[in-house]
Amino acid sequence: MSAGSNIKPQDVEGLIELFKASNWDEMHVQVGEFELFLSNDPKAVGPGKAVAAPAAPLAVSVAAPASAPATAPASIAHAPVTAAIPDGLVAIRAPNLGTFYRAPKPGAPPYVEVGQTISEDTEVCLIEVMKLFAPVAAGLRGVVREVLVKDGQMVEFDAPLILVEPAK
Amino acid sequence: MSISRVLSVNRGEIAARVVKAAQALGIEAVQAVSQADRESMAAQLADRTVVIGPAPSRLSYLDPKLLVHTALATGCDALHPGYGFLSERAALASLCAEHGITFIGPRPETIAALGDKLEAKALARAAGVPLVPGTDRIADAAAAQAAAETLGYPVLMKASAGGGGRGMFIARSAADLAAGFDKASNEAREAFGDGTMYMERYVENARHVEVQVFGDGKGHVLHFGERDCSIQRRYQKVFEESPCAAMPQALREELHRAALSLVASVKYQNAGTVEFLYDVNRQEIYFIEVNARIQVEHPVSEQVTGFDLIQLQFRVAGGEPLHYTQDQIPVRGHAIECRLNAEDPYQDFRPSPGRITRWQPPRGAGVRVDSHCYDGYLVPPFYDSMIGKLIVTAATRAECVERLQAALARTEIDGLTTNLPLLRHIAQQPDFIDNQLNTRWLETTGLPAFGAKQE
Repeated sequence: MSAGSNIKPQDVEGLIELFKASNWDEMHVQVGEFELFLSNDPKAVGPGKAVAAPAAPLAVSVAAPASAPATAPASIAHAPVTAAIPDGLVAIRAPNLGTFYRAPKPGAPPYVEVGQTISEDTEVCLIEVMKLFAPVAAGLRGVVREVLVKDGQMVEFDAPLILVEPAK
Repeated sequence: MSISRVLSVNRGEIAARVVKAAQALGIEAVQAVSQADRESMAAQLADRTVVIGPAPSRLSYLDPKLLVHTALATGCDALHPGYGFLSERAALASLCAEHGITFIGPRPETIAALGDKLEAKALARAAGVPLVPGTDRIADAAAAQAAAETLGYPVLMKASAGGGGRGMFIARSAADLAAGFDKASNEAREAFGDGTMYMERYVENARHVEVQVFGDGKGHVLHFGERDCSIQRRYQKVFEESPCAAMPQALREELHRAALSLVASVKYQNAGTVEFLYDVNRQEIYFIEVNARIQVEHPVSEQVTGFDLIQLQFRVAGGEPLHYTQDQIPVRGHAIECRLNAEDPYQDFRPSPGRITRWQPPRGAGVRVDSHCYDGYLVPPFYDSMIGKLIVTAATRAECVERLQAALARTEIDGLTTNLPLLRHIAQQPDFIDNQLNTRWLETTGLPAFGAKQE
């Protein structure tokens, strides 16, 4: 049993009351797996997991192979991996729902590596929909800082895929 | 029930309805949404919601590959198409079949056959279902006059290659035919390169009636009564009711027999609707088309039969036998539905999307509201304007009309413009109360009276 499961609803209510009564701009509490981020800025995005942002696009593992969906149903549970976009970085986002691939084909080197300099038309990944593989262009110049999605994961429309530090 | 998880790929009220029906049967529901619908009621109700694409339908709800990919990637074993969008696209049903996903609807070949108007008419003729009386090609005005004597005036002359009203005219006498034939034939020749004309009986006083059917895919078919959907504007239904109170029982039985005979002949699977024109003056019915899907107005049939037709869709698709007999589906009472739209009836029905600041549908005995709206819901501008359906049920049509009037009076929607004033107006019209309606009533009588009231 993790420390996070010891947090009770009244504990969260207490923390919210504490925050309301304060003059703080933000509060970030982490206890084991439990994480609470409160902010007076409606546009604020919490650090780490987007606990308080259920509407954010989620990238979710494809647990069911496409060939046998009925026999191996994926868990319906979400696996939120959406990270906040750190200051100074820009996300390349999924143009539609599909399966994310880092390389043009299995075994091939990935389109881009962390640290690589890219330009607007650099192809950075593939999004596959029913065996149709569409390359995604970077759309900006800069340096790749992080790849947020694992190879073969399903991503939803607009999900952040790759973080780029834009060229000055 | 062999279905364990369904992907709901529609939006609006029907998506919410599908999610609830699935969950009531112990089926997990995944809702596919466009970016504009991520806060929608269906998304909130579903066990999981996935954003498949941006707001425009062609990049989200109208992309069969995207939908089937989503179903596979989320471990769904079935897909419910709702109505509209891809619900009658055989390509979606085939793609589901190829990938082992149960499409909750007819087989792809049935959708394709019934979707082709000529093939559907041929199937109807073969099943002994009456079509609008008409002729083959007519050579000249004299031949047209001879044919019209047999059919009876008025008649409708149509271009065989035609469409969009080109080369078409109504003739009420032999003189009309003599005066119009050559002109229409020339018009058709210029428009379509083919001046061939044919004739159909013109139904002056027509009602739109349709039969709700269900099939097990093996030839066992049942009906769930008929609906009268005569109040229409530009072929869009506004009010629908069940049963068709204006139809004598003998003709009603003939109507049901005709519908069942057609769907039995194609071993129809799942829910469908067979549409007819009811020629009130002649007391005859003519086949129009089959809608191979669940329809917007299915709730009135549910109200008078007591069946949940969406749950029945799941059961049949999941392989349960359709283990009822026709006499276990009696029609009791009367139900009327009207469609609430975010549109301005005073401004030529211009769509009026926006945020609903107050959503207060009526409640009470015999009142049902199927809607995806709530306080604060933003009606997006990208899709059709229907925001809900008000369905009232009572023992008789007269009581049902009174209940409808009262329910409409209690309906309060703020924040955007709706057609509620028009619905209230229609519900108060003597022609509506007395059931003196036909398919042209709203455009020729109901709307002009509404406009006059506005002054």
